[in-house]
This record gives sequence, C-alpha cells and structure tokens, in this order.
Amino acid sequence: MALAYTDYYAVLGVPRDADQDAIRRAYRKLARRHHPDVNSDSDAEERFKELGEAYEVLSDPEKRERYDRLGANWRQQEQETPDANFEEFFARQGFGGAADSADFGDDLFERLFGGRGGAGASGWSTGPLRGFDREAQLELSLEDALEGGRRRLTLDGRDIDVNFPAGVRDGQLIRIAGRGGPGRDGGPPGDLYLRISLRPHPHFRRRGEHDLDVDLPVTPSQAALGATVPVRTPGGSAQVRVPAGSSSGRRLRLRGRGLPRSGGSGDLHAVVKIVVPKHLSDRERELYEQLAAESPPVEASA
Amino acid sequence: MSSEEAVELTVVARRAGVRIALVRRYLEFGLFEARPGPAAAPRYDPDSAARVAQAERLRRDLGLNYAGAVLACELLDRIRDLRAGR
Repeated sequence: MALAYTDYYAVLGVPRDADQDAIRRAYRKLARRHHPDVNSDSDAEERFKELGEAYEVLSDPEKRERYDRLGANWRQQEQETPDANFEEFFARQGFGGAADSADFGDDLFERLFGGRGGAGASGWSTGPLRGFDREAQLELSLEDALEGGRRRLTLDGRDIDVNFPAGVRDGQLIRIAGRGGPGRDGGPPGDLYLRISLRPHPHFRRRGEHDLDVDLPVTPSQAALGATVPVRTPGGSAQVRVPAGSSSGRRLRLRGRGLPRSGGSGDLHAVVKIVVPKHLSDRERELYEQLAAESPPVEASA
Repeated sequence: MSSEEAVELTVVARRAGVRIALVRRYLEFGLFEARPGPAAAPRYDPDSAARVAQAERLRRDLGLNYAGAVLACELLDRIRDLRAGR
C-alpha cells in the first residue's frame, strides 16, 4: 500500500534526537489528548491513528534507524515482513478494518505501549472489543424534518444511507446501529449518532422548542377592518382570521401547526405585518387623503 | 437513559464484544447499574454496552486501571453535560 510520507517526529512534537523516554512521554500525553473517546473533534480518530503509527516506528530502535536513514522510502524494505503493514496492524488494534489473527496483535500491542514496567499486568490486555460511537451532524430543512426521508452521508470516505423519521427535532439524536468505529479483534462496531440540525428557513422562524413564527402580510384596510387571509404553514397553507384593528406585530396563534413534539405539535404564530402599497392610484390617494383628514394621529405612547 | 428495553448482563457483554467477567468487573466499579426491578433477574440499560466498551478502550489505550477508566468515563459525561448546559 502507498502512504504519503509522514514526519513522525513532527507528529509526536519531539526533536529528531529525542531519547526513548521523551518519545514515550510525548506519545502518552498526545494519546490522552487525541483519544477518540476523549476528543470529539472529527479528526481525532485519524490523529490518534497517526500517533500510534509514529510511536510504533520511533519507539523501535531498528525501525527508527531505518526511518531516519531512508525517509519517505523507509518502508519499502519492510514490505515483506508482516509487522510493517500498518493497515493490518491498525485493523488488529481496531482503527482500520476487520481483524482475524490473535497473538500477532498482542505482541505488537505489547511493544506499542512498552508493556514492561508500564501500568502492570492488568493494564494492556487485548481481545475483542466494540468500536467507539461516532457522532455526526445531519443538516435538514424544516420541510425534510417534517416529512422524513433518506440521505446519503459520506463519513471517512464511506457512503452511508440514512433514513430519518418524519418529525425529527432540532438537536435530536438518531442512532444508526453498527456505523460507528470498527470493532477491535473481531468485536462489534460502535454506533453512529446523527445530531439533527435544522437549517434556518426563509419563512419560518423558530420560537422556543416547538413553536414557529411566520409573517402574515396584510393590507392597511385588512388590518383596520379585519379579514380572513391565507397563511403559509410548514405543511402547506391555512386560512387565518385577522381581527379588525390589528396592528403590525400582533400574534395570531394557529394551534398545533408548529413543529412535532411527543404527543402533538407546537403552535404556529402568524405575526401581522401591515404592508403599505408603494404606488397609489389617483383614486387610492384621494381616499387615503380623506381618511387622513378623518383619523386622529397616532400618539407616541400608543 | 435509553428508552429501549433493558437487557441481561450477557447481552451487555455480547454487544460490548467482551467477556462477561469484564462486564461484572465494571459493574463492581460502578460504571453502570441495574435498572430498578427484581434483584433475582437484574436488567441493565442497553447503553451499558457502549459504556463498558468506552471504559475498556480508555483502559487499554491509555494504560489506566479499572477505577481510572471508570473515573474518566464519569468525567467525560460531566464535561458533556456541562457543554450541553445541563
């Protein structure tokens, strides 16, 4: 397999003349920081894997010498020996793919973590183990969230088809079994959790958890006299009665037309927005002037 | 806590991919608990499998002991709760 050259000293953040103690210290510190169970950054898994590779080479004097001498080509001589195959190595340790053999992994693991004098006999055991749970974000439009559907996601180069149910909520977690990190030594894979994130909508604004606001444009005469006007709802449209004497900002509630929640739905609030025509016909202007003469001015405190 | 049906300890072990003795060990260390119910047939939250696997990965990868791995899991939970504002 062809891998790009990686500067293992830079990965561990140690100088090229670092001694074994310094390399081990650097590795342990960085392994704690970038362990995928500790660090939720999306690149933590990759980084942790890289750390393992760097430590596996630099902690072995023979490999380190070859790496120092041959640089990018150091691996070529190694291809024939089994323990030089990193894909295989990490598959066995659970960072790659399927695993099948047993004692080879133990041996490498022992070396990887310097088993002698480490945390004691109980510390470094191996064996089948479930992979870690992964979390990813699934961005949906409001309409998609209400209708449910299917999405294809690409995670770590793999395509995953995901079905999400109708009525998913912002922030909700959907579990996709078996799509997390690979299991180790034949252990089951972890699960993938998709966190739903609703995109801002051009018409509907979120109001709390389950309610929505939508603008309700009305003419000045509809606002003054009252009218029944169409309003956009998440599923389509509805008719809403605007009471006579409604000013801009008045909220008219449409019960149950908001976002789904357990045991029902939130409310939709139609917010009255008086829209004045930009251009008036002569007749309209005349009528407005008559109206202006009749109406007392609005007081500042009103 | 998951709303899924509670499971037996053998199921926790199978889903975590580990031997049941290891699951019992983490149970002794308080990593997870039985759901309320008859003591003769204890049942556990299905999330326990992921929790056992997490503790075990941390233990193996970072050279922790059992108590350290359980503590790490609890602290990670706490951090997550704090971030979520709970």
